Formats: sequence, structure tokens, C-alpha cells
Amino acid sequence: MTNEELDPVIHVPARLRIVVTLAALPPGDDLSFTRLQDVIGLTPGNLITHLRKLEDAGYVSTEKNGSGVSARTAVALTNTGRAALDRYTTVLRQLLDSAAPS
Amino acid sequence: MNDEGGTTGGTDMDDAPALDPQGAAAILQQARDRARRELAVRRPVLFLIWAVVVFVGYGAMWLSVRGQHPYRGPAWEALLLAFLLFVAAAGASANVVDRAASGVGGRSELQRGIFALALLAGFIALEIEKQALATAGASRPVTALFGAAIPLLVAGLVLLASCATASQLDWPRLAIGGWLLAVAAGGVWGGVVTSLAVYALAGGAGIALMAVIEPHVRRS
Repeated sequence: MTNEELDPVIHVPARLRIVVTLAALPPGDDLSFTRLQDVIGLTPGNLITHLRKLEDAGYVSTEKNGSGVSARTAVALTNTGRAALDRYTTVLRQLLDSAAPS
Repeated sequence: MNDEGGTTGGTDMDDAPALDPQGAAAILQQARDRARRELAVRRPVLFLIWAVVVFVGYGAMWLSVRGQHPYRGPAWEALLLAFLLFVAAAGASANVVDRAASGVGGRSELQRGIFALALLAGFIALEIEKQALATAGASRPVTALFGAAIPLLVAGLVLLASCATASQLDWPRLAIGGWLLAVAAGGVWGGVVTSLAVYALAGGAGIALMAVIEPHVRRS
């Protein structure tokens, strides 16, 4: 098992935080962009960059509702993203187990 | 992407040094803990709030009716205290829920709305039933006995029913819903005065106990 087997889309601190935060919500729920930004502690620009990469991989979906001051962008983890995080966690656990002194 | 994230640019953290498995595990755990802290409703706080309402509200009514012969009903001061406690607790609960649910949309938002509506509809429907009983000739102690059980019956039933829509088995909610129904159904056999003491003690203690054990149940 090598480090390369960890999903490179998730294996970045900011994206790992984003995916884990969204996975804390029950399936069917979404989080507003501003609340996600508050919880993660990223600048809007950074968050947008990372969300685009996750969206390109099909791990998150974003949906904009309303316009002007009432606009709300909802970010949700897709089923693919939830499965990817599960796989990532499994591989990570295996890596840590294999590295632990027996 | 949207008007909430006004700037573009920013440093892409792909340029950050490679993340080792230990570092990734630490970030994963921190992010999980933080998400749980920020996005999960603090149910022990809610349970404590309602334990106080049940204990003090029913307790005050019981103190004002014990020894009454014939039964005249709770003193207005006790009813006012129970009402004010209820209003304050409803406001505090809404605050606790809003704090966690701010920015969260989708299915949970809909479920919260239906939960609140079900509580309101249940109270109104059973209060109407109580009035109908009085109109049909039920005595004051009988309507009072039924009326005192209404909050526990409605809360217990709605809590139990809401478990059906939860994404996973919610033991604390299931347990507290069942307990409130059991207290309401059992307490009523004590009569119009004793039932209030049963509701105060058994209802209040059950909810307070859940406030203590809920974090352990959730972690296990």
C-alpha cells in the first residue's frame, strides 16, 4: 500500500476538511457557501478553487438559489463523494496500520 | 461561483507540502470534531431545558393543588409560571437549534419544519378534544387529568414518529419519546393531583437523565 493510493482529489488539507465537513451532514442535506466557509476557515477564493476541483471530480454539487442579497449557494456532498471519502478513510487506516510497529 | 465568494484567486493548497498519512488522519479527526461541534444540535442542552420546564412547571401545579377538597384546579400563579417557562424554553430551544442549523438546508430543514408543525397540531387537536370532553359533560377533574397529560402525550408521540424519518436509528429520541408516553399513560392512574407529581418527577428526571447519557450513547 503506498501514499499514491490515497485519492489525490481528497488528499489535500483544505479539500479533506471540506469533504469531511459535508459528510457530517445527513444524506439529502446541504450547507450554504458562507456557513461552509465559516466552519472550514478558508477565504472565499480558496474555497471556490477547492470546490471547483471537487465538483469536477463529481464529489460535490453546488446549486445557486435566488439572486442579489438573498442569493444562497448550497454545497452538498454527492453519493460519489461520500463513497470516495469512505474509500479514502479505509486506505488511510490501512496505511497507518501498516506503518504502526507490530 | 457566486456572489457570496466575491474573490477568485487565492492560493491553491495543492502547492502545500505533501501530506503524510499521520497528518491526514489528524486533519480528518479535527475536521470531524469541528463539524460535529458546529453542525450538530446540542441535544443535552435541549434536554436540560425541557427537564427544568417539566419539573418546575408540573411541580408548581402539583404544589398548588395538593390538599384541595374538592378539586378546584391549579392556582393562576402556577399556570402562569408553567406558561412562561414553556415560552422561554421554546425560545431557548429555537436558539440552540438555529445555532447549529444555520446554513443547513435540504431534508433536515424540512424535517424540522414538520416536527414543529406536528407538535403545534398535536397540542391544538388535543386541546380541542379536551374542550369537547367538557362540553359533553366531563367533570373538571376528568378534563384536568386529560389536559395535564397532553404535553407529554404530544411530545412523546411526535418524538417517536420523527424517528421514522431519521437517517439512522436515534436511540435517545426513541427512548425519551417512549418514556414520555409511558409517564403520561402511567401517571394518569394516580388521579388528578398525584399525576402532576408523577409528571414532574418521572418526566423531569427521565429527560434530565437523557441529557446526561445522550453524549455517551451518541459516541458509542
